[in-house]
Amino acid sequence: MSQKLENLSALVDGEISQTDGHAINSINALQQDSEMLQKWHNYHLIRYGLRKELPTNLHIDIAANVALALAAEPTILAPKKGFRDLPVVAAVLPFIRQGGQLAIAASVAVAVIVGVQQVNNSPEIDKPFNSAAPILGVPGGLSPVSFEQSYAVPQNNEVEQRRKINAYLADHQQQMRLKTIKLADNPTSTPVQSLETSEIQSDVTDETP
Amino acid sequence: MPILVLGLWLPHGLSAQTNNQDEASESTVQTSYPSDTAEAWLVKMASAVKTLNFNISFIVLKPGVDSQPYLWRHAVNEDGIEMEQLNLLNGPGREMVRIGDKVSYFEPNVPPYTLQSTTINGPFPSELFYHPDKLQEGYEFVLVGRSRVSGRAAQQIRVISKDQTRFGFNLWLDQESGLLLKMNMINLEGQLLEQIQVTGLEVNQQPDPFFSRIALPMLPDVLVMQSTPEMAPRWQINYLPIGMYVAKQDTHRLPLTSELVDYLLVSDGLVDVSIYLQPQNNGKANQDLLGRHESNTILTRQLGDFSATVVGKVPPATADAIVKSIQFIQ
Repeated sequence: MSQKLENLSALVDGEISQTDGHAINSINALQQDSEMLQKWHNYHLIRYGLRKELPTNLHIDIAANVALALAAEPTILAPKKGFRDLPVVAAVLPFIRQGGQLAIAASVAVAVIVGVQQVNNSPEIDKPFNSAAPILGVPGGLSPVSFEQSYAVPQNNEVEQRRKINAYLADHQQQMRLKTIKLADNPTSTPVQSLETSEIQSDVTDETP
Repeated sequence: MPILVLGLWLPHGLSAQTNNQDEASESTVQTSYPSDTAEAWLVKMASAVKTLNFNISFIVLKPGVDSQPYLWRHAVNEDGIEMEQLNLLNGPGREMVRIGDKVSYFEPNVPPYTLQSTTINGPFPSELFYHPDKLQEGYEFVLVGRSRVSGRAAQQIRVISKDQTRFGFNLWLDQESGLLLKMNMINLEGQLLEQIQVTGLEVNQQPDPFFSRIALPMLPDVLVMQSTPEMAPRWQINYLPIGMYVAKQDTHRLPLTSELVDYLLVSDGLVDVSIYLQPQNNGKANQDLLGRHESNTILTRQLGDFSATVVGKVPPATADAIVKSIQFIQ
């Protein structure tokens, strides 16, 4: 067992060369062994964690376990609420299954809004961002986006609003991805190939190195 | 979930050998464009993206975000099936693999899944590659001239929205292959918003060996989408920029907050804009809000008992015009 774990660890660390027959054997063995698969998963999580590369909304079993534990908990504090209504769980377990869409939703990283600006009822729409323009700086360097807020909103409201904005952004990302499915189903979309010329075609083939 | 990503590297019987497509045989089709126009270049690009075996490295630059290097590979196998891979190279990564009309997404935070789709949802607007002809309604394409990008001769094309309501683009296409070398998204004042810069381009006769290593049975199952029951819309928008159309309308729950929203997706092929309508929560007055995230504009406005939110890469004025045109159907 310890030998197996050591092999696995070496594999995760990339210490076994990919072309090596040994590595392929290890991977094949891994696929058969659910316990080792879990270990593989955990090793990678640890690695990401150590390197501070963990995704912002991690799909991790702890959330499910917490949710289960909470569901099993006698409902004393909030008798009328299910575990899904508890704010903590809602945050830990953002994508409780609600049909096909939300299974994907989890894949969208939580977006963090960097510039929030309060607009008056008649905003001057032409010049909405009156700080530094959102441009890339000199080639190779990025200018930071400034944080804008014309007046302080109450703390709770702000947090709530940020949460909402993040939800909208995450959903927007997800919907854009799902849109491509629609495109695939669209029978009216004709391939552009009918527009190609002999000249363009020969360009492509002849000049290809 | 790295397990299956690694599964892709397993050797598999599928051997990619010669790419026998004879492009000259398709050359009987006539075009309606003269050869040296922006349209002809776009057609050339669309064709190149679909038919060439290429490996492209590119970097995505966005304000306030670290640079994102990608590897993009495309090949047509001997059966004429398109295979495509897009791989984010930094960090835990994100990998998308398309085999024909199935796109598999491998991301570190969720189990892998496959969508039935003919395009990968990546940093590029896919319509630009697949249906450039459809973009002509909303945008004007202007051939600017030649310059040097990524060490290669490039044709520059400027993409301008006809009614000045959307951000513009500058494209540089490889003179030789027609592939994209650089893409800048610029605002109406001509300032740079986002940039995609190709750093390496390689066109090969043979498909990349990577594709022969994909273990097809190991790819995740296709996710079947539940079709939401059609409901009569309670609202409509009366204004859309030229060339934009309603791509989708439904009612669904938001991630994170699980709130129910009425939803409308409008698109012109280059940018997608989401419009959300939500009842205001129990009389608590929300404020109107204008923000941005990367180059997305986020605008929330109160309309009677509802709050409407627009998210998308459009100028704030356009977002505002869309929100103001929302009309409730009695």
